[in-house]
Amino acid sequence: MSGAAISKEKAEPNLTPLLDIVFQLITFFMLVINFANDNYDQRINLPDAGSARPVEDDSRIAQDRLVLNVDSEGRMLKGDRILGIDEAAQAIRHEADLVKLGLRTSGVKFDSAVDTLPTTIILRADKETTFGAVLGIIKACQSQGFRKFALKAMIRS
Amino acid sequence: MDAPDVPVAPMLDMAFQLLTFFVLTYRPAPVEGQFMMNLLPPQPVTAEAAAATEAAATNDLPATLRTLPVVLRADDQGRLAQINIAEFDVSDDPKALAAELDHQLLDPDAPFDQTLIKVDPNLRYSELMTIINAFTDAFIRAKKEPKLSFDELRAGDGA
Repeated sequence: MSGAAISKEKAEPNLTPLLDIVFQLITFFMLVINFANDNYDQRINLPDAGSARPVEDDSRIAQDRLVLNVDSEGRMLKGDRILGIDEAAQAIRHEADLVKLGLRTSGVKFDSAVDTLPTTIILRADKETTFGAVLGIIKACQSQGFRKFALKAMIRS
Repeated sequence: MDAPDVPVAPMLDMAFQLLTFFVLTYRPAPVEGQFMMNLLPPQPVTAEAAAATEAAATNDLPATLRTLPVVLRADDQGRLAQINIAEFDVSDDPKALAAELDHQLLDPDAPFDQTLIKVDPNLRYSELMTIINAFTDAFIRAKKEPKLSFDELRAGDGA
């Protein structure tokens, strides 16, 4: 009879601490996942530079930046499209027009001959590309009034 | 009075599924840095004169005297073949390059505070970034704000 009484007891481990730990792990992974990097083209292998400064306040210039990706063949990548230098210059001109339009609508006077655009060009160029290709993109930006450039590199000492 | 029996196991199942998803999709974010630069627009005048125009307002010393001229040449494979700083050839060994840059930037008789780098168009970008890295380090060691600008090396330049 005593054996029948014992078999009715249920073995229920306390799962609450385990659940707490799992939720903490989930919270950790949710926080460390970097959605901002989805904007960056993973096809680009950036060169290494130990002295490159980390991006301190990415959100501050988020509204005022234009990311340009240049692949190992010196072509500009824009989404799924691969642009040659002429198409890249056209795309940059289009972006510059948008920036100028934004300045005008916000009441800022802009003279193309004198003023420079406030937008920072974030240049992510592949380490295998040539300086000539990068310079072509830089010149296309400069001709549209862009002056501020940030050359991206991987921070490795 | 019995405590309410809340089934925790289904919640734990869901939590484990979420955890599995995040573990599988987790990819350590690459640490990207940047070199901030104000690059001059293309002008019909020489790049030295353009640099001088910009810097003239900030210092009485002519900007051409404050600009350290550098020439980088590439070989057929796009690797760095020659570094010429202030008309002197310098080894591409990192220590020798750093020593030469320290010599130039810390010399009281040569008050360089900016650099114009003329670069062979065939030079690989990674090689250029190595040089930019060395210059940035040298400017920081000399307690000066790194001011770098580029121009394309044309035939006959820095010969």
